[in-house]
Amino acid sequence: MSCGNPHETPCTEVLSLTYLYIDGEIDEVHYLEVKTHLTQCPPCRDTYSAEILLKAMVKRSCEGAAITKARRARIAAELRQISITYLD
Amino acid sequence: MILLLPSPTEASPTETSRAPIELAPVAKKEFDESSVTGAGARVERFERDSLPFMDQLYGAALRMTRNPTDAEDLVQETYVKAFAAFDSFTEGTNMKAWLFRILTNTYINIYRKKQRQPFQTGTDELTDGQIHEAESHTSRGLRSAEVEALDHLVDAEIVEALAAVPEDFRLAVYLADVEGFTYKEIADMMETPVGTVMSRLHRGRRILRDQLTEYAIDRGLISAAPTGGRA
Repeated sequence: MSCGNPHETPCTEVLSLTYLYIDGEIDEVHYLEVKTHLTQCPPCRDTYSAEILLKAMVKRSCEGAAITKARRARIAAELRQISITYLD
Repeated sequence: MILLLPSPTEASPTETSRAPIELAPVAKKEFDESSVTGAGARVERFERDSLPFMDQLYGAALRMTRNPTDAEDLVQETYVKAFAAFDSFTEGTNMKAWLFRILTNTYINIYRKKQRQPFQTGTDELTDGQIHEAESHTSRGLRSAEVEALDHLVDAEIVEALAAVPEDFRLAVYLADVEGFTYKEIADMMETPVGTVMSRLHRGRRILRDQLTEYAIDRGLISAAPTGGRA
């Protein structure tokens, strides 16, 4: 998908860098290329926005899991127990 | 060394399966100078550094096992292993990544074998060229307006969609998106090359996106026949 305008970096290349960019794994040269491209190309910008939103949704939906107090205590107790075995 | 630990008496007195009587003397050691250099100090340092990550490890374990009890067992196993290996942990390095590596390893080596699921190998490597090709020829990407519609799905539905993603892909997505680990860290945890992590992320996100889109269409949040057309 492209806006039809010529760009210094082609849309296909920019789209192939989406995950590297949103995951913060992109190198500086490509980062600047993508950034420039996104200011000029609404369709690519929209695709990037969509992926960033999805990533945030996954994070939000999985946050806040908490282990039960009982199990937390069991784990602490087991560590203490192993520690005693070390002492002996 | 100053002991910053919460009282070890927090360890549940109801845990009686193994020599409960010995818990009390250890608890007293918190203020015993001899504990600073001995095994007491070791467990205290380990607890101080590792226990704050328990809920995060549990969250990941829950996404791995998809079952609260198995997830708790996995976290417990992880702590036991981590404690045993604590001497190999270099102070000042990333404790969270170290714990997640043990968690992932434990899961892959123990739980997955128990479930008798074959290890997925070889099939999930994508070359850069293939990824590039996938970008240009697969179904159109979602529009941001559609993702905003997806955002109306409740968290439980997103979690359910994630659970349907094949394991290795799901794990890569979880570690990257929820925990924010780098590709290199995920590669270390999953004991695969970075390129494999990238292709797992790529596939995992595609599958998740398609799954979420289906849910959203079912709920009338987005149209089944998008007006944008295909690329």
